[in-house]
Amino acid sequence: MEMIVNTVRMVDYDQLREHSFGDDNSLKENLAFGMLNPEDYKKLNLTPSLNLKLANDYGQVIIKVKQEKDIPLGTILMPVSIWANQITGIINKQLIFKNLKVNAEATRDTVLDIKDLLNLIKK
Amino acid sequence: MVGKRVKCTGCSLLCDDIIIMSDGLYIDEVIGACLKGKERFDQVASKNRILSPFLRKNGDLVKVQLKGALNKCIEIIKNSSKPLLYGFSTVSCQAQLKGIELAKKINGFIDSNSIICQGKVLNTSSQTGMTLTTISEVINKADLLIFWGANVAESIPRLLNKALFSRGKFRMTGREIRTLIIIDPVKTASFNVMGVRDIALKIEPGRDLDLIRVLKEHCCAPSSDPPKAIAGIDGDDLRRLLIQLTNAENSVIFIGQGIVNSTSDSNVMQELLELVQMINRKQQKGRMSIMMLGGHYNMAGFDQVALSLVGKNHSLQFVNNQLAETSETIISKIDNEDFDCSVIVGTDPISHLPWKLSRKLISKPLILIDNKKSVTYSVADIILPSAITGIECEGLAYRLDNVPIELERIVQPPNNIISDEEILSMLIEGLKTI
Repeated sequence: MEMIVNTVRMVDYDQLREHSFGDDNSLKENLAFGMLNPEDYKKLNLTPSLNLKLANDYGQVIIKVKQEKDIPLGTILMPVSIWANQITGIINKQLIFKNLKVNAEATRDTVLDIKDLLNLIKK
Repeated sequence: MVGKRVKCTGCSLLCDDIIIMSDGLYIDEVIGACLKGKERFDQVASKNRILSPFLRKNGDLVKVQLKGALNKCIEIIKNSSKPLLYGFSTVSCQAQLKGIELAKKINGFIDSNSIICQGKVLNTSSQTGMTLTTISEVINKADLLIFWGANVAESIPRLLNKALFSRGKFRMTGREIRTLIIIDPVKTASFNVMGVRDIALKIEPGRDLDLIRVLKEHCCAPSSDPPKAIAGIDGDDLRRLLIQLTNAENSVIFIGQGIVNSTSDSNVMQELLELVQMINRKQQKGRMSIMMLGGHYNMAGFDQVALSLVGKNHSLQFVNNQLAETSETIISKIDNEDFDCSVIVGTDPISHLPWKLSRKLISKPLILIDNKKSVTYSVADIILPSAITGIECEGLAYRLDNVPIELERIVQPPNNIISDEEILSMLIEGLKTI
C-alpha cells in the first residue's frame, strides 16, 4: 500500500533524550516506530505481533506501529532517527525527509537494533 | 544552596527565566524549565556523557589523554587535502568563530546544521528580502500568530507561553486578543491550545505552495473571489484565513520544518516570503513578519558569525586560506565523496543524514567533538569531550529571533573537560607547531 512518511520531532520520542539517558533497547523502543491512523492499520492487516516494512527508492526499514486517530489517512509519522533515515534521500542537493512516498506492508520480520543497523550501513 | 537565574540552552528560545539551585559543583534543582530544558540540565550528569577522549583502535574505543587525541587529530587533518567540518549549532559563537578559523587554516569546507534547516529561508531571503521580528515585539504587539509546519508545543515548548499567552504592552488582554492559526497536515500537540476564534488548517501534505499562491492572488483584495477549497482546506476556512491576513495589525508567520522541507522545490520559501512582502505593501494598518524556528540553540549563531566574518551564511569552502566560490553544500560534498576526513562538532550526522550519506561519511576518518554519546560517537575514530556551553562554560548564542544572548558558566565541568572553543583553539595551535 502506498503511503507518505513524515519524519517529525516529538518530545516523548526524542533521539537526543534517548542518547543521553537511554540505552540501545530504549532507543529502539522509542524511535523505531511509526504512527498511523487506525483505518490504515486495518487496511494493512496489521496485528500487535506484526511489524511494518517501509520501502522506497532510497532504502527500506522495519518498524513497530502505533495507532493514532489524529494522523491523516495515508500518512505515517516517524520520529527523526537513524531508523527513519533508512528511507530518506537527496534530490537536487537537498535532503528529503518530509512527504516521502513509501510502499508499506505488514511483515513478520523483526526491527533491527542500533548495532545491526550500523553494521548494515558500514557494509 | 542559592537560587540563581540562568539561561537555558534546551532549544533556540534560550529562555532566561530558569532558576537553578546549585552549589557550583552540582545542579540540585531546576525550576521553570520545560521538558527539553530540564533534560539539557540533566545532561550534565547523564550516564551517556562523554567524559574522556577516545581513539578507535581495531574497532574498539580506547581511552586516551587529551594530548594524544589532539595529536592524532592534527595528524589526520595534516594529511588531509579536503577536510570537512560540520555541525556547530550547539556550540557558542566563539567556538563557531574558531571553527571557521580552523577551516580557513586547513583549506576545509565548513557547514552548519542550518543548511538543512532554517538556512534555506535565509538563502531565499537574499532574493526576496525578509521582514523579521523579535520575541519582545511579538509579546508586545502581535495579534495574529501563524504557525506553518511547526509543532511548536513539542519543538520549542515555551514559545507559546511567551508569544501567545503573555500580556504585552499593546496587547494587555494577551491570549484573548491574539488569534492563532496553525497550518499543518497533522493535528499535532500544538493544536491543543486552540480556542474558538483560532483556525486549524489541516493542509494536504506537500501542497503548501498551492495555498501560498491562492493567498498571493486573493489576499488584501476585497473584491476577489477565492476558490471553494484548496489543498484540503475548505472555502470557509480559506476565507477566514484571508480575513485574518488582511485585517491583522501585527502578524507573524513562524516557519517550521514542515514547510521549509515540505518539498525539494525552493519556490515554496520564495513565494512565502513574497506573500509576506506583498501583504506588507498592500496592508495599510499593519505589518507582517517572519520568525524562523530553528531547533538547535545556536543555529542562528553560525549564520550570524559566518555572515559577519565572510559575508556568506553557510557552505564555506576555503582555498589557499581564502573563501572560494562554491555551489556545493555539506550534502553534495558527502554525496560526491569530495572529502577525505571530517570534523564533526556538537551534532549527530549519522542519525540525521540519509544512510547512504552516513555510509560515505564513516568511510573516511571522523573526528567528533561533543559532550554526549550519539550514533556518531559509535562510529567516530577520535572523540574529544567538550564542556556543555551555558552550563559548564560561557559563550554567546543567538536566539531564534537573532537576538544575542550571553550564556554563563553555572557549574564546573567534570574531569576538567574544556570547551569546544578551547578544543578548536588547541587544534589550530597544534597545526601551527607541527
